[in-house]
Amino acid sequence: MSSDVTESGGGPGGSGRRTWTSVGHRRWTHVDALRVVLLSTVTIVVLVPIVWTVLGSFKTRTELAQVPPTFLPDSWALTNYTDALTRFDFLTYVRNSVIVVIGATLLTLVINSMAAYALAKYNFRGRNALFLLTLATIMIPLQVILIPVYQVVASFGMVNTLWGLIIPAAATPTGVFLLRQYMLTIPDELIEAARVDGSGELRTFVQIVLPLCTPALAVVAIFSVIWRWNDFLWPLVVAQSEDVYTLPVALARFNAQEVVPFNLILAMSVVSMIPVIVLFLFFQRQIAQGIANTGIK
Amino acid sequence: MTTPAQATTRPAGAPTPAGPRRRRVPLGLRMAPYLFVLPNMIIFGLFTIWPAINGFNISLYESSNGRNFDWVGLDNYRRILTDDEFWEVVRNTVVFALAFVLLCLLIATALAVLLQAQGRGKSFFRAVFFLPVLLSPVVVGLVWNWLLERRGGLVNTILTPFGGGDTGWLVESNLAMISVIVVGVWMNVGFYILILLAGLQGIDPSLYEAARMDGAGAWQQLTSLTLPLLQPSLLVVLVLSTIHGFQAFDFIYTLTGGGPVGATTLIVQYIYENGFVSPIRYGLASAGSVLLFVTVFCLTLVNWFIGRRREAV
Repeated sequence: MSSDVTESGGGPGGSGRRTWTSVGHRRWTHVDALRVVLLSTVTIVVLVPIVWTVLGSFKTRTELAQVPPTFLPDSWALTNYTDALTRFDFLTYVRNSVIVVIGATLLTLVINSMAAYALAKYNFRGRNALFLLTLATIMIPLQVILIPVYQVVASFGMVNTLWGLIIPAAATPTGVFLLRQYMLTIPDELIEAARVDGSGELRTFVQIVLPLCTPALAVVAIFSVIWRWNDFLWPLVVAQSEDVYTLPVALARFNAQEVVPFNLILAMSVVSMIPVIVLFLFFQRQIAQGIANTGIK
Repeated sequence: MTTPAQATTRPAGAPTPAGPRRRRVPLGLRMAPYLFVLPNMIIFGLFTIWPAINGFNISLYESSNGRNFDWVGLDNYRRILTDDEFWEVVRNTVVFALAFVLLCLLIATALAVLLQAQGRGKSFFRAVFFLPVLLSPVVVGLVWNWLLERRGGLVNTILTPFGGGDTGWLVESNLAMISVIVVGVWMNVGFYILILLAGLQGIDPSLYEAARMDGAGAWQQLTSLTLPLLQPSLLVVLVLSTIHGFQAFDFIYTLTGGGPVGATTLIVQYIYENGFVSPIRYGLASAGSVLLFVTVFCLTLVNWFIGRRREAV
């Protein structure tokens, strides 16, 4: 990927004519400068709200009320963070979020990889139909079937339970798709050899296929964690009592009621940002690849 | 990732060490794939397929509490189609989705092309642009609500030297819609940039070499080489952003709450509020659900159809 040598496309703002020798040193042109200015401007537009939030999470209530606002907080004390912990069931919401994220991600990994294995490595009646059905439902996000899904969950008595948050969206079509595509690249001979050696189907899957799929499993897991951690509409509908609130639900509810001071809301918001950003810093490449391959989010 | 030619294991060919008994495949091997897909398909069936079908059925009932249901036939549809609030919501949703999709396509394409051309710092810019995608939409909404405050909000503070320091971004209907659109794009565009970047990376660099030798300028390279070759990725962005645009809800809920006076209430919020916030009007919620479902499904098909035909030409 030597995109620094080969100019590809050029900015829309670039002039029509450009001359440079195709090989060798490239001079710093006005087009390059313009591009860097544009990219930097967008960077500022993206970063300022985030930085402002982090700064705000250290400010006191009176500081936040000042017009015009102060830039840096008076002190960098963690008062807002500790107050949020002591004055609200903040830990309960974080714990609920963590349970839902971990439970849902594990469940998704297990059932998606099993289904993907069957769809990739077995010939069976109805396989293509199942695969097509799975693909088609990528077009049916939960938002458009909210009411009927809620009815199913209610009829199972899962409203106001963490199970109700975990189970319904666990069978992600994109996860099955991504894992299946990956498993197609595993040579059949490997599986055959295990069979000849007398390994059972389940054992072959767990001990031979799954370890080979680690990169794909990682992508599915990362996306599941990010999505579940930030998920809002479904938890809002299912978690109606405070003891099952997830972090986003608690934030939205408290913010709407305006009983919680905004400085504490900001502190909780920053806490909600940290895990996903850390995850992103570690797994940037996998995330980019996952999006490129499936368009999942 | 290229998909290799389908080469599935044929269980029928599996040698049976236990002695060939009419060369039958062992029961375990025959049942295995069904058992493997079963857990996924149960959850999938119960919580996706069945609700998608049953949604049509539900929309024929009315309930005031979500527990007891009365069959009302198509009455819910008659009511929703004569509901002024619904039509305002439809208008809002269409305005939002249209602006969202167009802006995302435009900005994501521009930034992806700029990024692709960037040498030093490319991965830094890419990571930064993706950052908002990771944030909780609820947080994005409440933070922007704070930034856009009329008095003392960061945006107005920045605009003060330019004479725009007293703008009621979330108070005035049209401005509120514009704010919602801008925040929606701010939050999502990094996702589409990544898709387009992957597409750009798939274009053979030697094509640009050739174009340059033929004397094509940067603009010409963009319009007659990059954009046509990027079409499959642009189609993916079009389809996804349409779906995302029509299902927007969470960040708006904390940004404007759908206000002022319903000016930024979109269809998903309409469904949520009728279905779960008293006074509950279940019939309207479920009829709205079906209409949204059908709309999104049809739009996706139309997008694919147009995209495919364009590709064929």
